Amino acid sequence: MNKQIALLLVGLLSTGATFGADIIVIVHPTAAAPTKEQVADIYLGKSRAYTPLDQTEASPIRAEFYQKVTGRDLTQVKSAWSRIVFTGKGQPPRELLDSAAVKQAVAADPKAIGYIDRSALDATVKAALALN
Amino acid sequence: MFTNDAWSQVAHTSRRCLHRVAEPAILFPAIATLVLGVIWAWTLNLISVERTAAEHAATLSSRELVDTYEAQVVRALREIDQTLKVVKYAYEVRDKQIVLQELKARALLPPDMLFVVSITDRNGNVVASSRPSAVTRVADQDVFQNQRRSDTLSVGRPQADPSAGVWRLLFSRRLNSVDGSFAGVAMVEVEAAYFVSGYDTSKLGARGVLGILGTDGIFRVRRSGEEVAAAGDPVDYKAVVPAEGAFETAVMVSTNAWDGVRRYTSARQLYDFPLAVIVGLSEDERLAAANTGMRTYLWRASAGSAILILIVAILGRLSRQLALSRQHAVDEQIAHAARVEYLAYHDGLTALPNRSLFSKLLGQGIQHAHRYNKQLAVLFLDLDRFKQINDSLGHQAGDQLLQEVATRLKTCLRDSDAVARLGGDEFVVLLPELEDETHAATVAQKILSAVARPFVLIGQEFRVTASVGISTYPQDGLDEQTLTKNADIAMYQAKDEGKNNFQFYSEKLNTDSLERLALDLSLRHALERNEFRLDYQAKRDIRSGLITGMEGLLRWQHPYLGTIAPMQFIPVAEETGLIVPIGKWVLRTACLQNVAWQKQGLPRMSMAINLTARQFADERLLPDLAEMLVATGMDAQLLELEIAESLLMRDVATSLRTLGGLKNMGIRIAIDDFGIGYSSLSTLKQFPLDTIKIDRSFIRDVASVDEDKALTEAIIAMGRTLSLTVVAQGVETKEQADFLRHNACDEFQGFYLNVPMPAEQIAELLRTQGHSQDNHPRAAA
Repeated sequence: MNKQIALLLVGLLSTGATFGADIIVIVHPTAAAPTKEQVADIYLGKSRAYTPLDQTEASPIRAEFYQKVTGRDLTQVKSAWSRIVFTGKGQPPRELLDSAAVKQAVAADPKAIGYIDRSALDATVKAALALN
Repeated sequence: MFTNDAWSQVAHTSRRCLHRVAEPAILFPAIATLVLGVIWAWTLNLISVERTAAEHAATLSSRELVDTYEAQVVRALREIDQTLKVVKYAYEVRDKQIVLQELKARALLPPDMLFVVSITDRNGNVVASSRPSAVTRVADQDVFQNQRRSDTLSVGRPQADPSAGVWRLLFSRRLNSVDGSFAGVAMVEVEAAYFVSGYDTSKLGARGVLGILGTDGIFRVRRSGEEVAAAGDPVDYKAVVPAEGAFETAVMVSTNAWDGVRRYTSARQLYDFPLAVIVGLSEDERLAAANTGMRTYLWRASAGSAILILIVAILGRLSRQLALSRQHAVDEQIAHAARVEYLAYHDGLTALPNRSLFSKLLGQGIQHAHRYNKQLAVLFLDLDRFKQINDSLGHQAGDQLLQEVATRLKTCLRDSDAVARLGGDEFVVLLPELEDETHAATVAQKILSAVARPFVLIGQEFRVTASVGISTYPQDGLDEQTLTKNADIAMYQAKDEGKNNFQFYSEKLNTDSLERLALDLSLRHALERNEFRLDYQAKRDIRSGLITGMEGLLRWQHPYLGTIAPMQFIPVAEETGLIVPIGKWVLRTACLQNVAWQKQGLPRMSMAINLTARQFADERLLPDLAEMLVATGMDAQLLELEIAESLLMRDVATSLRTLGGLKNMGIRIAIDDFGIGYSSLSTLKQFPLDTIKIDRSFIRDVASVDEDKALTEAIIAMGRTLSLTVVAQGVETKEQADFLRHNACDEFQGFYLNVPMPAEQIAELLRTQGHSQDNHPRAAA
């Protein structure tokens, strides 16, 4: 019996570990939490309610984030931003080196929005949306 | 010079034209053509207007798009150049490789997502980069080589990146060392697609084009729909891009050399860059709506035209049918009128002209002859034995004979001559152009010969002859009536001459017999026209004074001449043979009257009728009488035929035979006008007589002249001896009557008490006598 409970706990923990790899959309603690659709609009340049922050193209979290929020791959996202930039309607999100840098930037800017690995989440920012 | 006449003629002509135009056969197609013209003019105009509008819109749109695109490309290029200039400045003023990090940190570099900024050394090796790139060495590339020689912005030719499946563009500027020597290049690398990412399908369609063309004729990038291309075969730059300085970009409709699509193409040389922007709108796409509209309009116009033509065709057909049926109705009316006129002027049996038409023709002929001083001839023709044929073979055969005669007559004549049937067996021929009388004679002889040829009627061969009378204009008459009458007179002359011959009219002939013939002419029609009637004269018993019988007396009520006495016309009738039908009529009428009286309840009376010589000689007398008695229901005992004494004595044997026949039938026989016929008493004794009627010449003077008195007494005595009833004729006075009664005469007739009167009055008289018979038995005496 105990053995079974232990197994279940291990299972839960392992699942929790997977959750730990989840992406969390974060905003400034004072800011309102956007919906997933709003997040997608912000990261495709359709909304300027927040200032989006990106992670580097090399970081694996970036492709996963765009896929989960917008349903598009990076080429498509690039194409969308190309159009925006070329027609002078906006600039793509600034790229920061990692989740910590993003968290730090978001904590400092009430207008900022970013995405980080769950593991990097702490109280300095507000978790607006969990993507899994 | 236009006179009033000329004007009115013009007006008339134009009215007639208008009238013609109003005819359906012209009006309908004219209206249809007009409407078709309007429909098609309107349709083609609409198509043209829409197409022009579409072309105009495409031109405008192309120009607008190139304006926008030019601005976007120039701004993008300036940003890139600006970046290069910043990098160059930083590099040359500060330190070498770390400049990029610093610039990036200060956000002086374009977004990493789209752009890679890098620096090479003098050998073309990339030594620093804003982010990792596939491009690591550019020593042999134009963007590097160009910078060795100059210090301007260089736009490299498109570079394929097969791994990513994209085209890249490199922009470079020269980097100088402190001593001014070539130290390498600063580069910006961007996907070619970036410059056409503004392609808007809603404006450019699926087959429009957006592109950047180098002055070297190489496309840096080109997009059509979702398809992005670059490089490719060089195109003729000058042919595509208008010369610099043309501010207003001309929009050319041309087939683009690079993909063969016809487009509203606008190209513009960029200021300060060795590039031109190109915008093209597919002609097919831009005009698709207009073309669809055009097809719709054409289809509608065609359908409308077809329907219109169909309607006009149907209307035309209907109106033609209407016109035809109207025409048909009119034709029928005309034909009917013609038929009616034909019937009015032609004889139904022989189809020859009738009396009316002949009268017209003769009138015209006379006018013509009068005007041109010519002669004409009228030939009157009568068949000699027609009546016999008609009676013995029947009317059908008679009709057939008349038709055949008509046919033969026509063959005897020229076309200009005319033959008509006047009725019965009378024909008349008009020879309007008569050179001399011998011609008329020739024709007459021809006619006689033609008629004389045998006829075959109901399978039997018959021969008839004709008598022809000829009168000529102007000798024998100047008017229609005279000519006809004289020809008729001449015809009777021919008959008198023994028939089957022709006679010319002569004045002598006329004076001799004019009256007789005039009488004869009208006598011929008297029976048909019901001009005869019978009066009745009573016969009374000389002692009782009672009416014992009647004598029927023929009266002719001529329409113009009034009542004509029998002694005037009977001889003519006798001569012409008309007495036979007339006599028959008399017998029949008298018998019918007698029977009628009896039916009215009046006493049985004898009915006496005179027979003429011709009647008496008629072979058919006995059978006709027998037939008549049966037909009328007359009792033979009551019928008394009066025959003149002289008549009986002509041919005693025949008379005896006939009288015997009459006697056998039970008919009573009276000798009329007895006493003046020189009869031998022995002969008289042979005849089966019933009555003798003393001639009026004896009675007239019986009261005064002794000889007459004696003769009358003798006659009465003789009659009594032979057991005959003795009747005195012509009793006009009481004295005569008294004398006769005295001498035992049986009955008397005459104006004394016995005036001839119509049947109704006789009936009245008989009724009165019936009542008064007992009271006044001798009223007459």
